[in-house]
Amino acid sequence: MAETILVVDDDLDILELLKMNLEPEGYNVRTASDGDSAVQSACMDPPDLILLDVMMPHKNGFQVIEELKNIEETKSVPVILVTARGQTEDKVRGLDTGADDYITKPFDLREVTARVEAVLGRTRPIKYINPLMRAMGEGFSEKGLEQLAGHLQAAAAIQKKLLPEQAPSLDGFDIATLLQSSTSVSGDFYDFIPLSETQIGIVLGDVKGNGIPAALLMVMIRTALRLLCHEEDTPALILKRINDLVARDTEADLFATMIYGILDTETSTFTYSNGGHCYPLHWNTTRNIDVLKTGGMLIGAFEEATFTTGTCLLAPGDILVFYTDGITETEAGDDPGSDGNRGVSENSEQSDVYPDAIPTDTFYGGDRLAVCLSKNAALSASALCEAVVNDLASFSGSTQTPDDRALIVIKRDV
Amino acid sequence: MNFDTTIGEENISTLHIEGKILGNATETFRKEMETQLQTGHDKLVVDLTNVPLIDSSALGAIVTTLKSCQESGGKLVLLNPQKAVQEVLEVTHLATVIEIYDTEESARDAFM
Repeated sequence: MAETILVVDDDLDILELLKMNLEPEGYNVRTASDGDSAVQSACMDPPDLILLDVMMPHKNGFQVIEELKNIEETKSVPVILVTARGQTEDKVRGLDTGADDYITKPFDLREVTARVEAVLGRTRPIKYINPLMRAMGEGFSEKGLEQLAGHLQAAAAIQKKLLPEQAPSLDGFDIATLLQSSTSVSGDFYDFIPLSETQIGIVLGDVKGNGIPAALLMVMIRTALRLLCHEEDTPALILKRINDLVARDTEADLFATMIYGILDTETSTFTYSNGGHCYPLHWNTTRNIDVLKTGGMLIGAFEEATFTTGTCLLAPGDILVFYTDGITETEAGDDPGSDGNRGVSENSEQSDVYPDAIPTDTFYGGDRLAVCLSKNAALSASALCEAVVNDLASFSGSTQTPDDRALIVIKRDV
Repeated sequence: MNFDTTIGEENISTLHIEGKILGNATETFRKEMETQLQTGHDKLVVDLTNVPLIDSSALGAIVTTLKSCQESGGKLVLLNPQKAVQEVLEVTHLATVIEIYDTEESARDAFM
């Protein structure tokens, strides 16, 4: 998810300039033109960082920091002060008041971006731990926080190791994967589990929620799946057992969406069950797109959930695409690519290949993914992954990844 | 995201929300529903007419609140979700366990 920066300056030109500079870097930018509205905006919806001008009428930057540090919601939001050149006293005073860094005016825009990124890089790991800090209450200490940050990094390293380093090679099929993480601990995951000479289990999922609890849930699901896929026959039964396990053992707001299926290279079938996950796309050589909807509820929120199993047959040249919502919920940039990628709806021939798609121009949506797939169907699986990434970049006007993205492309050899 | 909660007949709370429920706004949304529950309002209408998109944490907040309402004998219903939100509710199959209404009247009637 994109990080939000609140920019505060009484000079509207500077506000606009900073906004124009930071948004293409993938940040959400909010602005305030005086101290009072800055404090109000920060309290209503605490940003990830505040870029704060010192010299403002009525209430100056120092007074704003002081207020923010006394408010529960905003006291841990990092602040970069913007001071006039040569005002060393300001810098010292600013850092004393609790600013995290400062920038001198007139500034170099590249320096602003670098400092913003540096401060966010330092504070990002701490933010994950905020829920734990609240849980610890008064028992919280700086040292405890450092330990937790250490544990988090260890968790991230373990999680990375759990993901297959490369897609499996299977006779008659070309498989490629992509995983982009916005943070150190990703909610998206995938796995390939060899079941027999001719069968492989494939899972793609998205654990909802944030930080350590979500990472632990992902590890739990992955482990359960690895054990269960040899015990149960059908994907629906496997999802049901994982659902019951998670629903019993975790809070209702911690859940996952996932698709699990078995690719059989002998029969060229994919037998699957979809637990509330974005519908995978099946492109076939007659240029039709089917969506794989069969399944049931998202995983882990309701013990009474039930699932069904579906099958699809893969003809030579057919393509299956699995993805997470980080792809379809990619937001449009202000300046879309000039090759008209946003103009999908104007293309009458292909506009309804994916009728359930998000139809707005705001989000990338399944429709654009389907079109991108159709256009590039002749490519190899890994080139198709790349084509999707490029299409997303031209749609959003940015190569930054504000959300986690995962993609699996499976293509049957012609 | 902005919101405005009104309490009407039969102690039904309606949360009118405006804007995307994403990121930090999700926490505000969650807290507001919690506040309603804590003050004894377990009949909730969440008006999504002006919500273009919600994130997964917001879905989680809805699921948790739905369950709490049911436990105390109340109910949570959704009002008029827009296409992108409706799609998320359908893909996740939450549309099969949450009552969804098109109009404020029919949402309120759901509690009678």
